[in-house]
Formats: sequence, C-alpha cells, structure tokens
Amino acid sequence: MEQILKATQLSKYFYQKKALDKVDLSIEKGKIYGILGPNGGGKSTFLKIAAGLLKPSQGEITIDNKKPGVYTKSIVSYLPEINHLYKWMKVKDALNFFKDLYADFNIERAKESLKFMELEEEEKITSLSKGMMGRLKLTLVLSRKAKLYLLDEPLNGIDPISREKIITSILDSYSEKTSILICSHLIYYIEKLLDYVFFLSEGRIILSGNAEDLRNKRGMSIDKLFQEVF
Amino acid sequence: MEFNNNIPIYLQIIDSIKQDIVVGKLKAGQKMPSVRELAGILKVNPNTIQRVYQELDREKITFTKRGMGTYVTEEEKTISSLKEEISQKIILDFAEGMNKLGFSNKELINTLKEYL
Amino acid sequence: MMTLLKYEIYRRWKWLVLRYAALIVIGAILLNRVSSPVYQYEFIGESIGKFALTSLVIFIIIIVEGINMLKEDLFEECGYLTFTIPEKGRTILASKLVLLLLQLILWTVITIGFGSIFFSKLPYQEIIQIKSQINFYFFPTVLFLLTAFFNFVLMIHFSLTLTKTLLVNKKYSGLLSIGIFFFLVYLIEKVYYGPFLNQIKHISIEVGSRSNIDLLSGGYTAVFLNIILIAIFFTATAYLLEKKINI
Repeated sequence: MEQILKATQLSKYFYQKKALDKVDLSIEKGKIYGILGPNGGGKSTFLKIAAGLLKPSQGEITIDNKKPGVYTKSIVSYLPEINHLYKWMKVKDALNFFKDLYADFNIERAKESLKFMELEEEEKITSLSKGMMGRLKLTLVLSRKAKLYLLDEPLNGIDPISREKIITSILDSYSEKTSILICSHLIYYIEKLLDYVFFLSEGRIILSGNAEDLRNKRGMSIDKLFQEVF
Repeated sequence: MEFNNNIPIYLQIIDSIKQDIVVGKLKAGQKMPSVRELAGILKVNPNTIQRVYQELDREKITFTKRGMGTYVTEEEKTISSLKEEISQKIILDFAEGMNKLGFSNKELINTLKEYL
Repeated sequence: MMTLLKYEIYRRWKWLVLRYAALIVIGAILLNRVSSPVYQYEFIGESIGKFALTSLVIFIIIIVEGINMLKEDLFEECGYLTFTIPEKGRTILASKLVLLLLQLILWTVITIGFGSIFFSKLPYQEIIQIKSQINFYFFPTVLFLLTAFFNFVLMIHFSLTLTKTLLVNKKYSGLLSIGIFFFLVYLIEKVYYGPFLNQIKHISIEVGSRSNIDLLSGGYTAVFLNIILIAIFFTATAYLLEKKINI
C-alpha cells in the first residue's frame, strides 16, 4: 500500500516543552486515520507540521515523499481548529478565494455543499455562529480534491445536526486515492469512520492499531479504550 | 442501525445482513448497495463495508460481479442453511443463558412449553 | 502573485478609493480657494499647510496599513490560511509590497501634482528661490524618500518575521520586533551608509557626477543604496517566511 505521509522520529520542542517526542507514523492511501488523545497531547502540533505551519525541531516528515512546502500545500487540505478565514470575507468570497488559489477546488461541489449545510453565500464570515463556521470550513476543505485531508477537531462545539452533516460530508470525500487524518478527543462520534487509530499523549504514540482489531482484542469500543488508557 | 462500538463493526453488519436475507428483507439475487452507498447509509468507514462484502463473498452468501456490484446468492440452499445457522445460534444462546440462571435442560424445555 | 494582489486590493478597495478621493477633493477645494481673484499670502500659506497635513495623514495611513498587511498574517488566526495556501513566501510578501509601492507612487504623484500647482500660485520671487534649490535635487530626493520609506516598511516586516521565527508566544513579540528594528537601524547607520558612502565619495568626485553625498538633499547613490537594502531585506524576509516561521 502506498504511503502518503511518513513521519520519522518527528519531534517538536517549544522552549522546554516537548510537544512531539520522536514520533514515528505513516499514513497509507485510501484509509481514514484517527489521532486520538487528550488536549495538549500533541495532535494539533502534528497536523500543523504536516500542513506546513510549524517546522520540525528534529526528525523528518514527508508528504508524497516531499518535505512540507508549496507542493505539499497543494495536495494537503487542512482544517484547523481555529477560525482562520479572513474576517473581511463573505461566504462567497471564501469560495472564490479557494477557487482562485487551489487548482483542485471544485466550486460546484462547494456550492452544493453550502446548500446541504444550509449556508448563504451573502453572509458575512463574522456573523456566522460556531456551528455554521464549522460547516463552512469543512465545506471549503472537503471541496478540494486533495490527496490528504487533515481535520483538526472537526466536531468540536458542533451541534448534533451539524455533526451528522459533517460526518456525511467526510464520508463523501473518501476515495481510494485519498487519505483522511482526523484529530479528535470526541471519539464516540467518529470511531466508526476510522480504519486505524493512533493514541497520542505527551507527544508520544502510546498505542496504535486497526480499529476493528482493537475492538476485537480488547473487547471494548475505541472510546472506552481511550478512557481506560487516559 | 444502532451499533455496539464494543464489538467489531463489520461483524455486526454481517449479522444484520444475514438476518435481512433470512427474513426476506433482502431477496435472493437482489443487488446490494455499493460499498460507498452502504458506508454512507450506515455512517461507517467504507473499508469496513469492503471487509463485510469480502466475508460474505467468502461464505458464499453473496457474490460479486466485477464492475457490476455485489448480489445476494440465488442458491435457496445457502439461504435455508443460513436460516438454520442463525436459529441454531439463538437456541444455543437461549440454552446457555438459561443454564447460567440455574435451569437444567429439562426445566428449560418445560418453561419454553409453558411460554408457548 | 496577481491573484494575491487582487485580493489585497479587493478586501480594502473602498478604503483605497476613499483616501485618494479625499486627498484629491481636499486638494481641489483648497486650490479653488487659492485661485479666487482676491489674493492673499496668508491664504496660500494656510492652504498649502492644510493640504500638506492631509497628505501627511494619508501617507501615515498608507505606511501603517503596509506594516499591518504582514503583521496580521504573522500574529493573527488568519495566518493559518495565508501560510497554508500553495504559494512561496516571496510571492505572499511581494503581493503586499506591490500594493504598498503602487500606493506610494499614487500618493507621490497626487501630492507633487497638487504641490506644484500650489507653488506656481506663489509670487514670482519666491518661486525663483525655491525652484533653484528644488530642481537640482528634486527627482533623486523624491526617489530617495520613496525608497527609504519602502525600505522602512520592509525592515519592520523583517523584524516582525524574525520575531516570529524566534518566539512562539505573542507576549514579548512586540518588544522583540521593536528591538530588532532599532538594532537594524543602528547597524545600517554605522556600517552601511557611513563606510560605503566614503568609498563612493571618491568615485563620484573623480567622475564628476552631480550626485551629492549629503543624504537629505538626496542623490542617486543614496537611492541605489536604498534599493540594495530593499533587495537584502526582501530576500531575507521571504526566506524566513518560506523556511523558518512557526505559525
């Protein structure tokens, strides 16, 4: 199976704190992965490094065999936890911006997705509720035909209806040519989507495995396993 | 469909499909939803569905025509032996459960007769 | 880069139109008052002063906006968007600087345009006095000031970017940026303009060139020095943006 992402002994230090400590991790094409762990455990840091926002302190990470840079940014679609869209934009501006800057952005799909997510094009970004913003960000990120999707806490602070829509959208984006990496501490809702999970705590992977195998071997859900481990 | 996340999902789906076939919800020779479709309906990972279909194909409960999809078997024999298999399991569970409660096998039959 | 530039303009087009329209309108109004048949010295001086003040305010707005264009991407949440689009650091930086340059040129043209019309309204003797001084050094001085302020913004960009490479917290970033900036200014004064210019002095005397080493009256060599500084800081900032920053 082809690898789309490979992290070797990846470490990230902030002053004295080790956000990531010699992490070895690889992502194959056509699978959905979960990086699960408590807040502050290093999940967001890992995604940010893969997205090209942070530089590794030590170790290496490659995406499609290239170091993070302009090429990887063109094949990686990153959903941050924070609201990163420009505050001066309206929804339609965000769509046009993505269309102009990402060659793989499918604007028709995005417009359909907007309808599904019940978002209006003329709305100002600053007037969106938390749920609406979450749905918009996800629409933008998933309307790209990227090789790797990095989703940082896509379900945080999202109401139940939005949550279902988001899960459906994530499934729709799946294909054998793409990989999805989801970070979350709300495992209950996403565990059925996951092929493979990594448990990350204090910058280290303390457990990993195929989701179904783990259910079989441990006789419990990933959620319960998570609670046990942490 | 409600899932118990404590047991492998693919096993639960397989059981559910077998059930549907036996009771006739899924007819012999009927086309199953595509992997993507079923994944979307059940809200589970498509690779899980892939595994489900592979298992069912292996047990010859379904067959997959390349490029066309997965179909329920047309063999009546397979379906009836499936029915047999599931009913046996139910009986086994019942017997084990009752035994655990302290019922001997004879008492167990009597209780059942009374109920029916 | 054109796409990014398009968005830099699009997001603030109303403000852009407003500030230059205001400058032109105020200039026109003041010019109108000065052109009335009842002619008074005080009136002209007052009008020139008011126009100069307006012009200065607009200039400060342009410079501050130019600084903030990069500052917000470095220190605010929208940086997550700017630095995950598939563009090189130099392209992102260039799009902001091109807008700054266009604005500086536009501002200069408008200000000098109105300025020269105002000066032409002055009495004959005063014009002769001023003109003889201005003609000689006018063009290099304008170029020098343009390049100097452009470089000023670019140096602040560099200081901010360097801070973002060294620090991750927002807490001391303001202090550090200012510190780096003033250190650079000191460095440039002592190391660059001083010794460099001493070399040039000899050459220009031999060649008999008209350029003057006194920086305030301008000179093409000073402009050239500024352009080199711009090239240095652009390359350095672009490199940091591409390879070193942590958002």
